[in-house]
Amino acid sequence: MFDAAMAVVKPEMKSYIWLQTVDGSIQQVEEEVAMFCPMICQEVLQTGLGSSKTYAISLPQRVNPAMLGLILDYCRFHQVPGHSNKERKTFDEKFIRMDTKKLCELTSAADSLQLKPLVDLTSRALARIIEGKTPEEIRETFHLPDDLTEDLCQEEKLEPLRNITDDPRIRLLNRLYARKRKELKERKKLKDVEVEEEPKDERSVEDLLSFINGADGDIKGTRANKNKKKNRRRKDHAKDISSENTNENDKELNPLPSAYHDVNFDNALEASASKHSRTQNLPAINFSPKFEFIDGDVDDDLDPAMKEELDREVEDFARRLNSDWPERMQILSLGQDRRLVPISMNSNGSTHLYTGFDQR
Amino acid sequence: MRPRVNYSFPEEVLEHVFSFIECDKDRGSISLVCKSWYEIERWCRRRVFVGNCYAVSPATVVNRFPKVRSIAIKGKPHFADFNLVPEGWGAYVGPWIKAMAAAYPWLQEIRLKRMVISDECLELIAKSFKNFQVLVLTSCEGFTTDGLAAIAANCRNLRELELRESEVDDICGHWLSHFPDSYTSLVSLNISCLGNEVNLSALERLVSRCPNLQTLRLNRAVPLDRLANLLRGAPQLVELGTGTYTTEMRPEVFTNLAEAFSGCKQLKGLSGFWDVLPSYLPAVYPICSNLTSLNLSYATIQSPDLIKLVGQCESLQRLWVLDYIEDAGLEVIAASCKDLRELRVFPSDPFGLEPNVALTEQGLVSVSEGCTKLQSVLYFCRQMTNSALDTIARNRPNMTRFRLCIIEPQAPDHLTHQPLDAGFGAIVEHCKDLQRLSLSGLLTDRVFEYIGTYGKKLEMLSVAFAGDSDLGLHHVLSGCDNLRKLEIRDCPFGDKALLANAAKLETMRSLWMSSCLVSYGACKLLGQKLPRLNVEVIDERGPPDSRPESSPVEKLYMYRTVSGPRLDMPGYVWRMQDDSALRIS
Repeated sequence: MFDAAMAVVKPEMKSYIWLQTVDGSIQQVEEEVAMFCPMICQEVLQTGLGSSKTYAISLPQRVNPAMLGLILDYCRFHQVPGHSNKERKTFDEKFIRMDTKKLCELTSAADSLQLKPLVDLTSRALARIIEGKTPEEIRETFHLPDDLTEDLCQEEKLEPLRNITDDPRIRLLNRLYARKRKELKERKKLKDVEVEEEPKDERSVEDLLSFINGADGDIKGTRANKNKKKNRRRKDHAKDISSENTNENDKELNPLPSAYHDVNFDNALEASASKHSRTQNLPAINFSPKFEFIDGDVDDDLDPAMKEELDREVEDFARRLNSDWPERMQILSLGQDRRLVPISMNSNGSTHLYTGFDQR
Repeated sequence: MRPRVNYSFPEEVLEHVFSFIECDKDRGSISLVCKSWYEIERWCRRRVFVGNCYAVSPATVVNRFPKVRSIAIKGKPHFADFNLVPEGWGAYVGPWIKAMAAAYPWLQEIRLKRMVISDECLELIAKSFKNFQVLVLTSCEGFTTDGLAAIAANCRNLRELELRESEVDDICGHWLSHFPDSYTSLVSLNISCLGNEVNLSALERLVSRCPNLQTLRLNRAVPLDRLANLLRGAPQLVELGTGTYTTEMRPEVFTNLAEAFSGCKQLKGLSGFWDVLPSYLPAVYPICSNLTSLNLSYATIQSPDLIKLVGQCESLQRLWVLDYIEDAGLEVIAASCKDLRELRVFPSDPFGLEPNVALTEQGLVSVSEGCTKLQSVLYFCRQMTNSALDTIARNRPNMTRFRLCIIEPQAPDHLTHQPLDAGFGAIVEHCKDLQRLSLSGLLTDRVFEYIGTYGKKLEMLSVAFAGDSDLGLHHVLSGCDNLRKLEIRDCPFGDKALLANAAKLETMRSLWMSSCLVSYGACKLLGQKLPRLNVEVIDERGPPDSRPESSPVEKLYMYRTVSGPRLDMPGYVWRMQDDSALRIS
């Protein structure tokens, strides 16, 4: 009776491979599952290890118990014949749904076991995570250091090089640029917000205008106030052009198209500056971290002496810019005179013709 | 904040991950992540794209990427296609080939666009790269069939030889004979831009002994009565460009041709069709339903025959065609070609004073209504309306490339006579993924305000005869965050916008301005203050500093570079960083 029972049990026993992870834990795995890993298979065939707990196969350091569990799950599914390609694909898609850290560990572990199908699967998944991200985002995702020196990445740099030189004019241009980018972002956030204008508005506008117009700052500033009122009434663009054109004709000694364009340009800058000023009235908590960073750039604290020097440089820059204007207006007029002939048939040409006559 | 612990990888694993990332921009991003990624990426980079041959030196590329197998380089500004770049401007590929010949013996692929390549360069390519496989020359010049003969004779593993829209000094039609009789690896051959006859016997032998040949684009000189022989020798073809498509009317020619086409079960793309004789068109009808690509931009087929042909191609994804298609044909396409993704309509008579065909804005509206997958449009026409553009924008918000070329400069909305600002404004507002835009017609600064406001993914913008003032350019430069290439001609844009947005220029690949109002003084200032920007004035009249600083420059080309001044400037190019007095004019 006893002998008979023993005989019955024996045929049901499976073959097992014993595996030991780096932390010392040992586990028993079905042979066909474990042998699905080329590294384990190789070890069994070459060394004969794995047949018992005392002769367990030592796995590479990169394979910890958690990773081994995942890998064996993968092997259990894929070593079974008969699954359709669709079933395998579905399994794979579910299998790689894990956080990035675990995915990295799994890739590394699978590589050490030479399990190429799984390495490909996880590598592709990591590649998908990387695609479309900026270097900063990738560093954040993978917890990597920002240790690239300037020289190494100069070829790829796309952003303007802030303060790479000491030239105040470059810094001012970069500040202006940063301000514009900030304002573009604000427009999306503030399109439903209307805030009463504060006295600060004027200072910002004047500061901006002084950069553009230098010595004429006062006059432009005065005109700017009136323009702001017009903007608040929100006239149609066409009407604005007509209205401002009339004003220019009344007030300017030489009503030239360039002067008109100049005002239009200033209006756009004023609008930007105005919105920028409004932002300062909002609670700080509304800003995103990135936003605050940009704001920091805009502030760019300077000591008084440096600021004074910067102001002088800006004034000089603007003066040089402005000093060319009268000559350019002449050339522009001459150019337009030449162009009037071929396009005189359409309404735009008519306008220019009128301007030409007025000039004479 | 918890300490940042690196997710550590063996280098070979990270390399393997990188091998699945193919997009140039993504490769650029991962190389900027950290030191170790920079190093790993640079050693496993196999393919390099250089968007401007003067942006980086060959030595820099070779030193940084030691194991490149494939390179693509662009040269002249796009406006070279419109003869705005003078002869001898540059874009010589010689220094690149020399550097790569020394550093990359295993280079396999070279793709060039708008570059000047000499026969000596082609000979160097033929002898330097042991496993050379792909040569693609698009809009290139400077070489002859002698150079092609060297390639044919020496590149034993050549798979692709593509000459697209290139100017070849076509000395001898026998260069094809230089392919050895043992050579059988050809997959793609494009000789469509060659002007002279080729050795037809050599061509037929070559075609029939290469079992993997998939693409064959013949030049105009290949006669129609030889086409059947070629097709019988390569029934596996996937893309075919015919030569001339006319001959004496002989029944056996038609019969042979029809049988040959019927034997080509894999054909997906057709092009060529110079000098079409309509009677021969039915020979291709049996394969039309399988076509995904059809390029009839050289085919002078009148509207009824063209409509009959195109109407049978219901699987089309790409269609290039002359304006003979007319509105009626575009309506047929809208009704039948539901997979169409790209449409290009070229002018048959661009210099005629009056319309010679009935192609209007309505044709494009029809296509935008019927072709739900349409993403890319290039449309030459003589009239357009804001209303049509608005309809097109609402119908196809998935468009990524929209190039409209109204042939008459500064043409207004032909119904309302208003500027086309609102229409293009609708395009940029509704097509949120728009990457490329070409403007035409009567336009004020308002259109640029729209572009600056909505064109957040715009990468390339082309402008001509548009705008009122610096404000227009200011809108574009300050608003289009992703702008890489900007080309402007004949617009009243001047110094203020450029100077106010100087920092933006350093983030762009290139900017071209011709016949505008940019002063020499402003160019000098930009050149002095932005060291990584090459600011070049093109002035064939003599040194710009012989005129007042306030005078406008005729042509300005500026581009971002890390390699400093180019060494091959012709006499009429003046780099603004240089002291002109030191130049010998």
